[in-house]
Amino acid sequence: MRPILLLALLVAQELTPQCGGSPSTTTPVAVAAPNVQAVVVNAGPANNYFNGAFTSVTICAPGQSTVCQTIDGVLVDTGSSGLRVLSTALSLSLRQQLGTNGAPVVECAQFLDGFTWGPVQVADVKLGSEQASSVPIQVIGETAFPNIPTDCSSSGTAEDTLANLGANGILGVGLFRQDCGSACAFVGSANPGLYYICPSSGCQPTAEALNDQLQNPVALLPTDNNGVLIQLPAVASGGAVSVTGALIFGIGTQANNALGSAKVLTVDANGNVTTVFSGQSYPSSFIDAGSNGVYFLDASTTGLPICSDNADFYCPAASQTLSATNRGANGATSAVNFNVGNADGFNASFSAISEIAGPNPGGFDWGLGFFFGRSIYTAIEGSSTPAGQGPYFAY
Amino acid sequence: MAHTRWLGLVVTTTIVALPSSARATLGGDSASVDADRIRVQGALLRIVRSDAFTVHEVQSSSGTTIREYMSSTGTVFAVAWEGPWLPNLRQILGPYFENYQRAVQSGSANRRARGSFKIDLPDVVVQMSGHPRAFSGRAYVPRLMPQRVQAESIR
Repeated sequence: MRPILLLALLVAQELTPQCGGSPSTTTPVAVAAPNVQAVVVNAGPANNYFNGAFTSVTICAPGQSTVCQTIDGVLVDTGSSGLRVLSTALSLSLRQQLGTNGAPVVECAQFLDGFTWGPVQVADVKLGSEQASSVPIQVIGETAFPNIPTDCSSSGTAEDTLANLGANGILGVGLFRQDCGSACAFVGSANPGLYYICPSSGCQPTAEALNDQLQNPVALLPTDNNGVLIQLPAVASGGAVSVTGALIFGIGTQANNALGSAKVLTVDANGNVTTVFSGQSYPSSFIDAGSNGVYFLDASTTGLPICSDNADFYCPAASQTLSATNRGANGATSAVNFNVGNADGFNASFSAISEIAGPNPGGFDWGLGFFFGRSIYTAIEGSSTPAGQGPYFAY
Repeated sequence: MAHTRWLGLVVTTTIVALPSSARATLGGDSASVDADRIRVQGALLRIVRSDAFTVHEVQSSSGTTIREYMSSTGTVFAVAWEGPWLPNLRQILGPYFENYQRAVQSGSANRRARGSFKIDLPDVVVQMSGHPRAFSGRAYVPRLMPQRVQAESIR
C-alpha cells in the first residue's frame, strides 16, 4: 500500500464509530514513511480470529511493476519466515519455481496446528513502499497439486482454506532468513523433507538450496532489511473491537525504528529465550506475533483453572496480574508483568484482548497479547543492527 | 532441548551405541517399536526404566527427539517429542491419528487457540507446543496410563 493510502486508512478508522462500547484505538506512529505499513488487529478475513495482526501485501509478477495484486487479510507472523498466500486469494499468475529435471517445486510447511501444501512461486513483494525482488513464496492449496504426499499429511491437518487458516496468507517476518534453512538444503536422512519436486509421475522429497527456499522477504529488501518492529497500542482491560498499529521494516535504520531503551534478548539456535517464573527457568520460551494469546505452563503450575468449555484457555474467576522475567542467550533480562483474565468473560465481538491466556506445558509462548502497548523488534539472523547481530528479540 | 526435565525419573540408563531406531505406535505393544524401527532412520539414544514404565528415547535423523512410554505390561501409553520439525504423527498416534485430524479440523471457529493447543478426546489427549524449528508435544491414552503416573510427567 502507498503511504497516502495508509494515512487515509488510519484516519478513516479513527472516525468510524465502533459498536460494542469499546472504541478502536490507533497508535501514534507515523505511518507515512517508506518503511511502514499498517496492521489491524480484527476478526480477519474469515471473521473468526482474535489477536491476529493483519496487513495488506502487494505482490507483482517478477520484474513487471504493473502486473500486481494487493492481498488483504494477511497475518503478520514473527514465528515463521516466508510469505504464503491462499490460492483462492491469488488472481495473479506467477512464475513457478522449477527443480530437478524441470519439475515444479512444492512445499509442505509445518505449523503447530497443521501444514500448508502448495507450490513455490516467485514474486516481487512490496513492503511499505520498498520492494523485495524475486522472492520465493508459497501458494497454499493450489489445485494443480491436489495430491498431498502421505509424509506431508502425516504432520497433521491441512491449513488450506480461508476458514482453516483464518487469513488470506501468512507474512512470516521472523528470526530466520529461510523457512527451513540448511537442513533442507542437503540430500540425506537429516533432511526433514519439507520440499518436494512434483513431476507428473508424483511428488518426491527434494533438497532445496537456501536461496530457493521460502525467504523472509524483509531480508531481501534493498534497505531496512535487518528485521522488523511491530508497534501496537495498549488495549484496555476487557479488550477492544479492533486496534491498528504498524509493521516497521528495519531496526535502527531510520528515525522510526530506533532501538532506544529496548532490551535486546538474543535467542538460541531454535529461536527461543528463557522465561523465569516463580523461580523456575523455562528455556523453550518464545515471542510470537502469530500466536493469539499468552500461552504458558499448566494449571497445576500456575494455579489458574482451565476453562470448562475449552481446554486451550485459562478461566480465573478474576483477572490476575503475574510477573515473569525473560532472559536472552546473551544473559540480558527483562521483567514482564502480564494479566490473565477469564477467557470466557470477554465480549465475543472483541478481537483485541491482551488478557487471553492458556496453557503451554513447559514454557511460555508470548503471543500477540504481549505485543499490545509495546514496541517489539525481531532481528534477522546474521543481520547487523546497532545492538549487534541478529537473531534476537528486543522490547 | 531440555532432556534434563525428566531425569528425576531415572532408575537405570542404558546407552545404546549402535545406530538403531524405535518409534512406537500409541496403544501398540513392544512389537510396534521394532516394526517402526526401519522407517525413522534415527538412533536409539537410551532406555530409561522406572518402577512404573520404561522410556525409549529415540532421535530421528532430522533431529527430533521422540520418547515413548511403555507400561510394565508392554503397552505404549504415551509419546512425547521435541525438536525442530514435527514427528510423523500418523505413525506415532497410530489408530488415534485420524480422530486427532478430525478434532483439529472441527476446532471451534471462534476463540480458537492459534498457539499451544490441546486436543482432549475420550480416547486420546494430544498437546502441541512450539513453533517452526522448535516443536514439542505429547500424546497419551488416558485408559492405558499406569496408576500414579501423571500427564505432567510425560515430556
